[in-house]
Amino acid sequence: MSTERPAGEDDEFTSAEANDLANCSDAEFSAWWRLWFEQAQATNHLDRHRYSHGVLTVEPGYEDLDDDG
Amino acid sequence: MPAEPPAPQPAQPDHLASNPYFALSRSFNAGRVRAIISSGQAVVWHRMSEASKDGDWIVREDADDLAHIRAVLAERGAVYRFGAPLDVRWLAGGWSAHLEFQDGPLRLRTDFVSRPPRLSPARLAALWRKTEHDDPPVIGILDLIALKLTQRERDYPIVGTLAKRLSDPAAILRHSRSATMLLRTAAGHGDLLAPLASERPLLATIPCAQETLEAALDHERRELMRRDQRRIAAYVAAMAGLARARGALEAAWAGKPLADQHRILVECCAQQLPVVVHVD
Repeated sequence: MSTERPAGEDDEFTSAEANDLANCSDAEFSAWWRLWFEQAQATNHLDRHRYSHGVLTVEPGYEDLDDDG
Repeated sequence: MPAEPPAPQPAQPDHLASNPYFALSRSFNAGRVRAIISSGQAVVWHRMSEASKDGDWIVREDADDLAHIRAVLAERGAVYRFGAPLDVRWLAGGWSAHLEFQDGPLRLRTDFVSRPPRLSPARLAALWRKTEHDDPPVIGILDLIALKLTQRERDYPIVGTLAKRLSDPAAILRHSRSATMLLRTAAGHGDLLAPLASERPLLATIPCAQETLEAALDHERRELMRRDQRRIAAYVAAMAGLARARGALEAAWAGKPLADQHRILVECCAQQLPVVVHVD
């Protein structure tokens, strides 16, 4: 997995993983995403009061968590 | 309507099943397309990133279709999070509905809108037409770029990566976040700059030094973020009544199945949540 940023490609989403995602097979990509998702459950307590989309960013009363933007 | 890049190759069934959000989409869309995968999971679908914990859908403003989606969620033990109900009245006003459930060790969050920001009614209608036979239906790159122009700084690198998929010079000039790519495209298609500058004012600065264009891109991003912040702020302000009622609301629906939660939330919102919100 390359971790180098392609020359001249600024403003890219450049996680190490992102560089090869387009070249994975469906099975590889699915397995990868699933592993990431399972590991990401460990942070559920940290985003318990947050929203990712829509017209809310945090639950009322948790505005101190609102660090988007 | 600008040209879309090619749709991703159809995924294999096991690919759909291993992502619980894609599998959930199949249930939402049994017999009819009711919910289009959007935002984070659409980014996953387009192979841009694996890092999205939540599922987001654009849903039809149809009471029966929403009842079907609620029934699918109820079977899985979903409960409401604070927010608007999954109901045509509020969704049509631009509100979002948020639910979640546990699938073994996995927390699945499901977010719904019917009027996604920055998609015109014509674009939205075209999206429904385009995806009506898809399995799963997934928002395309251009519409996804529009959705990702949010108040969150972290969405803009994703926009930049999505724009990398574009091949049409006009689309690149409309959406790229890369000064290098914009200057390179402009050098070969200078005739497009003047007509497109009315849509994207920073194009009027070309030809210019790369640093100048980079500064213009930063300014544009901040303006886009401020615009979305104003939209969110308008909804949060309009939610004040519901926020005050939150304690009583959650006490009333605690431990109840989703159908009861939905009825309680709708009754509360009828008193506390305006349907129409004016955004400056």
